[in-house]
Parts: sequence; C-alpha cells; structure tokens
Amino acid sequence: MSFIHPLALLGLAAAAIPALLHLLQRRVPPEIDFPPVRYLSAAERESARRLRLRHLLLLILRTALIVVIVLAAARPLVRVTGVGGGGAHEPTALVVILDNSPSSGAVVDGRLVLDRLRVAAHSSIGRTTSADRVWLMLSDGVLRGGTREALLATIDSTRSGWQRLDLVQAVERAARLVEAQPLPGREVHVLSDLQNTAVATGRATVARGVRVLATAPGRAVANRGIAAVSVSEGAAVISLRGSSAGSDEPVPPPVPVTIRIGAGRRGEVAARGLGTGGVSGAAVTVSLPAQTLAPGWWMGEAQLEPDELRADDRRPFAWRVAPPARVMATPGGGAGSFVAAALAVLQDGRRIAPGRDVVISGGEPLAGARAIVLPPEDPALVGQANRALESRGVLWSWGQPGTPGPVVASGGGVPMLNGVQVVKRYQLQGAGTSGEQGAAEILATVNGEPWLVRAGNVVLLGSRLDTAWTALPASPGFVPFVDALVNRIVAGAAEVDQAEGAPRVEFQTRGSDTIAATVYGPDARESDLTPATPANASAALGGRDRAEVLDADRFAAERFSGTRRADISGALLVLALLLAAAELGVATRTR
Amino acid sequence: MPPGPQRLDLLDPADVARLGGIEIVAEGVVEGFLAGVHRSPFRGFSVEFTEHRAYQPGDELRYLDWRILGRSDRLFVKQFEEETNLRSMILVDASRSMAWHGTPERLTKRAYADRLAAALALILLRQRDATGLVTFDEQVRQVVPARVKTGQWSRIVRGLLETPDGQGTAAHAALQRLTALLARRGMVILLSDLLFDRELALTALRYLRHRGHQVIVFHLMDPAEVELSGPPEVRFRDPESSVSVVVRPRELARAYADTVRREVAAWRKACRRHGIAYHHVQTDLPFGMALRLLT
Repeated sequence: MSFIHPLALLGLAAAAIPALLHLLQRRVPPEIDFPPVRYLSAAERESARRLRLRHLLLLILRTALIVVIVLAAARPLVRVTGVGGGGAHEPTALVVILDNSPSSGAVVDGRLVLDRLRVAAHSSIGRTTSADRVWLMLSDGVLRGGTREALLATIDSTRSGWQRLDLVQAVERAARLVEAQPLPGREVHVLSDLQNTAVATGRATVARGVRVLATAPGRAVANRGIAAVSVSEGAAVISLRGSSAGSDEPVPPPVPVTIRIGAGRRGEVAARGLGTGGVSGAAVTVSLPAQTLAPGWWMGEAQLEPDELRADDRRPFAWRVAPPARVMATPGGGAGSFVAAALAVLQDGRRIAPGRDVVISGGEPLAGARAIVLPPEDPALVGQANRALESRGVLWSWGQPGTPGPVVASGGGVPMLNGVQVVKRYQLQGAGTSGEQGAAEILATVNGEPWLVRAGNVVLLGSRLDTAWTALPASPGFVPFVDALVNRIVAGAAEVDQAEGAPRVEFQTRGSDTIAATVYGPDARESDLTPATPANASAALGGRDRAEVLDADRFAAERFSGTRRADISGALLVLALLLAAAELGVATRTR
Repeated sequence: MPPGPQRLDLLDPADVARLGGIEIVAEGVVEGFLAGVHRSPFRGFSVEFTEHRAYQPGDELRYLDWRILGRSDRLFVKQFEEETNLRSMILVDASRSMAWHGTPERLTKRAYADRLAAALALILLRQRDATGLVTFDEQVRQVVPARVKTGQWSRIVRGLLETPDGQGTAAHAALQRLTALLARRGMVILLSDLLFDRELALTALRYLRHRGHQVIVFHLMDPAEVELSGPPEVRFRDPESSVSVVVRPRELARAYADTVRREVAAWRKACRRHGIAYHHVQTDLPFGMALRLLT
C-alpha cells in the first residue's frame, strides 16, 4: 500500500485522543450527594460487564473512526488485479524506448509505423504522474530525462532517424537505469517494429523486478533496399537487402537499379541494371564506362523504385578514378595465364598501360617497383621466394599449406572476394609490421588466416590466381579484383569508409588533396523488415519471465499493472460513516 | 399561589409548602381533603349517618342516595360522622437521607413527610382518634404519646419541628424500641425513604403486626431517586455512609430504574405478605393524593 499524501499519516497520532479523553474524563468527575447509592451500586454490579464491553467497543469504534478518516485523507493506493488500464499506480521508474530507426519510416496500411509507435509512447508517458521518474530513449540511444510535458513534446517532434537501434542493448541499458531507481515500480516500454535483426544480437540482462513490455509488431511488409554500393574499376556492385513479407512468389520480380555518377558535373554517367528482387544478399553488378571519367574523386547514387520503406531506396557512394597504372607480369608466366588474360582485358579497357610501375610475379619480387607477389607454383621454390621477400624488407612469408575455405574480405575495398572458394594456399606468416615498410594490412582471410596482405608497396597472396588454387579467376569479380590490385591496393590508395547516418558523402582532405571519403547511409539491416516472433522477441528482451510482447490493447492494460493501485479513500470514507453510525448507535443506546 | 384548583390537597406539595408553616399547610390540606371524602378514610371503624347534601361534581357515586333520586329526581349524597377511639402512632424517619431533594424546587423527603404526618394527625384527631408521634434516625428522637385531648396536634407539630435532621438510619433498632411504646393495639403509620436493611426493618414491622397493630408504610422517594440523571460522569456519594460510586448516569439510567422498580416491588411484596399496607409516594405527589391512598 502506498499513499498519495503520506504526510497526512501524521494525523494517526490523533487516534490516541479517544483513549486520552477516556482517561482524562475519569479523573475528576463532579461529586453529588445521592442517598440511594445502594441502588446505584446494585445496578452497576449488574451492568458492569455490559458497560465494560460498551466502553471498550466505543473506544475501538472512535479510535477506528479517527484512523479511517486519517487514512482516507492520506489517499491510500492498494494493489488491484484484473484487466484495465485505468487507475493510479505506485511511483514507477519508466524508460520508454521509442524506436525511430529508419525502418520506422515504413508505411503499413497507409500509416507510418512511427506514428503508431508514437501514439503508444505518448500514452505511456501520459499515464505517468509526478511521482514517477521517466526517461525517453530514441534510436540514438540517448536517455532523455525531464518533465512529462517535455518528453511528450519530444515524442511529438520525433521523426524517423537514420540510426539503427539495437533493442537488446537498449533494453539492457534501460533496465539497468530503472533498476537503480529507489521506486516501487520499474518498467521499460519498448515501442518498436521489433525487426528480427534488432533482437538478434543476444539476450538482454534484465534484473528481477523490472518489467519489459513491448508492443507487438504490425503486419509484415515486403521491402527492398540498397544495403551497400561498391564501385570498383569498371563496375558498380549494388548489394540488395530486404524482406519478402512471407510472399509465396516462386520467382521474385526483378529489381531495377539506377546508378548516377557525377551528378551535376560534366561527364555525368547514368547506368541501369536489374537485380534479383527481395532476396537478402543479392547483388547487382553494373558495368561503368570508366574511360569516360576523368581522374579524381567521383560521387554517385544508386536508386531503387520507391516502396514501403523509402529510407533505403537510395544510397550514395564515392569513387576515386586514378590514372591507369603501368603494369607488367614477370616474364615466363610466373603470374599465370589468368592474370595475363586479365591484364590484357584491362589494357584493352585502358585501365592499365604497359610499364614497370607494378610488377606481378610468381614468387620473386623485383627491386624498386610496386610488387604483387603470388606464391611460386613449385613448392621447392617457396624458400627462395621467402628469402627474396626478406631481402626486400618484407617480414611476411609463405608457410605451410593451409586448409581450403572461402575468402572473407576484411577491408581494402575488395568485396568481390567474399565467398570465393580457395582450394589450395599457403599460410601467410609474418610480424605484420616492418619499420621500413610501415604497417602491414590484412585485406582478406581464409579460415581466419591471412590470405591477402599488403606490406608497404608489396602485396602478397596466399594462393596463385589459378583455377587449380582458387575459383577467383573464374568469377565475374576477377578482372575488377586485378584492377583494384594494380590500380589501388598496391598503391595504398585510401578506402572509402562506410558510416551510419543520413545519406551523404563526406571527404577528408590533407592540404589541398582529398585523401579519403566517408559514405553515410542507413544500416543495411534496417531493410529487413521481417518482424521477430513474440517468443523470440520476449526471449531477447530479457526472458519470458521479464519481458512480454503484447498487442496494443493488452499493452495498454498491462502498463503499470504490476504497480497499479486503486485509491480507496472513498471506500474508507464510507467505512468512516458506518463507524460513525455504529458509534452513535452504541453511544446513545442506554442498555 | 398559582392559579388553579383551590383545594390545597391537590396542589404541588412545594407550592403548598410556600404558604406557611406545617400547621397552615396541614390544615389547608386536610380541609380540602375532607371536602372530597364522605366518610372516614380509615375503614373498619364505627361510622354514623349525619345528613344529606347536594351532589357536586367529583363526589363518589357510591355515596349517592338512590332513594331520593328515585323519589325526587334530585342528586344528594350521604354524609357520615365517625365515632371511634382509634390509637394511632405516626413514625417519621428523620435520618440524613431524608433531608435530600433532587432539585431545590422540590420539598425534601423530610419536609414532605413532616407535612404529611401533620395532616394525617389532624385528620385522626378530628375524628377523635388518639394520635401520637415518634421521630427517629439511629435512635428515637421525639416521642409524643397518643392523646386525643385539645392541643395534641400542636404538640405533634412541635415534635416534628424540634426533630433535627439525623445522621444515619438504623430503623430496626428504633422500631424495636417503638414496640415497647405501643403497648395498646392501634394503627402505626411509618413515613420513611426505607434506605435501610429491608429484612431487619421488616422484622420490627412484623412484630408490630403480630402485636395486632394495623401498619401502614409510606415509602417516600424523590423523583430524582427514581429516574437517574446528571452530568455525563459523576461521583454519587451516600450522605449517610459516605460511600461513593462513579457512574455515567446516561449509561446506567435504565439499569438503575430497573433496580428501583425491583426494590419497590420487593417492599410491596414483603409488606403484603405480612399484612402491611405499603404505599410508594414520590415527593411531587400532592398531599391529598397521598392521603387518598389510605381510603
């Protein structure tokens, strides 16, 4: 039980008044001569038991009357059970998590998802009282305190943002906050579209006594979004991501993708391609007429046809066009026939030119040139090749043969390597640093072991670029990979970084030179609008004993239900009236 | 004197008492009382018809002369004259409890008893009965032997006036002494609040009855002794024994009234069992009404 006006309980001291009056009144009664005292004594003897009971009953009734009136003045709140969103509640620490991540901008049934969430958030905070402590968390993860009115104003002004919200982490933080509050009630209200990807990162730790209530996601809708755009020499690879909303279409319709490079400047290029619709992980490769672009940094944008979620329908990208590298392969076919063929293609496309700036060799680096070194085909020459590397100051070397596996690109702008199977390789071993060569950079791995490494102006591969070693030469990304190797990677050109935020491109400059670019866009996981099942969501948001995923009506009913209280002052006043009537009856009854 | 009936015996005793001393009051009461009766109130004694007089409203129908009514169609009532030699002794309780009244506007029980005793004595003397007086509290205070000679009433009144309010009441002792004073058979009238041990008092009264006396008891009570009232809480003290008790009159009123009723009923029952006439009289009862109890 709690009280709205607990200070009124000080009035309970008045409960002693009847007893005190009883004692004080008995002290000094007036004295009167009365001859038939013997009759009085007899009457009192006969009535003594009844009078004692009556006095005791009156004392109890009067004391109870005062206690009940004081309690009614203190406005007691008692725990009530049953469904219903009304009534008061005990002071509660509440965090309202309003998920305004990009996915909240989806339109479902003609209405923004965020609008539905905002109404629920408004209602949750609107139900709080001055005795509650309330915070609001948006997808930026910031816990906002303040008055109820201020938070309501914040909710009203909230729009869909560009930051993804990891609900597991958000709930965990919110639960820690409310758990630290010295209030009887602790609740976290999660108002989110409950994307599967938002609750797939683990399970939130929620302390006992903290209730996590989440609104059930609405109807699932199909969506296609651009997860990433990578532009390499001669081609743009657009990664798509989305959700199918459970449609049973055997063959998803193709997705038209439009690429614009250099919008608003001379030499603007536009290209279109078709991707496989609605399948996460799908990619569209659009060939670019690179020869038309002058050297320098270029910006572009990929666009999809508008759908229910507009935030992921366009994504900018940046690309640096460099002068063609002058490349040669070592005589005697040390680099292999596939490399020679790729170089021929690049030369035909004017992506490279003959020369000795970059040398691709089969184990023996050339002094004074940027080198791309493949392991020698003959295992007996591996030692000689390692010594050659060492003599050049490269601390990396080929070791024992490694296990087969897929390539995982870990940076360097070589996404075309992802998933390419490697069947034969040497383990690349090295300290990774060299005082002379500078920091080494691992650009790709196989089974967690380095497979593509750049150390200064030398790039080492763990496998030869041959179909007997890897499937890469037979994949469509082989020529772009060779292009990236000779034009960018071996030269140590800066990558284009990706960051989460409103779609835009920011350049980094050093002096008058632009050295890097950062491309902002929504997190690709926002495109997958597949909602989590209630069971999975409640398990991720604290466990099924702490978290509940409820539809709108039940959410409204369950809010503060753990601490819901009914004001029983009215009932107490009725009880006080009954006690007063009983007291009056007993007091006026003379026998 | 307030307007109303002219018969003093029917007025409020306190109002009548304001007219003067005991003699005046008693004479006035007796005059009024005798005007309303037609024979001796004390039945069982010799009476003779004297004359007729015209009927007045209020006259008892049993004294209507039916023969005259049948002959002349006029209403006459018969009047009688007693011839008696009754010896009567009036015993007045003068204990301290008798000197109490519930409100100053009422007579004390003693004052009421004195005036009633004087009136009784006057009636008895007028019908030529030898009448005497004994006052007592713990002991016999005044004794006026029963006589019928001139000046006897004055002696009785003086005996009443010269008896102060006593302290305690040990009536049975005084009553036992009285048995020796009442050697000849006659009538004994006791005026008391009976606030003493009932069994002991009854023993003495039974003895008188056994000696052939006609015994009449007037149990006097102030109305405030019948209905308990007072402040919310009060300490009541017995003026004779100084015993006190703290009560809330409102709480105890009904139980007290029941106790009083039981006490009166017990006295009445005990007296009837022994052939003693018992009359419960409150001190606001007009004297005439009290006297009429004897008829």
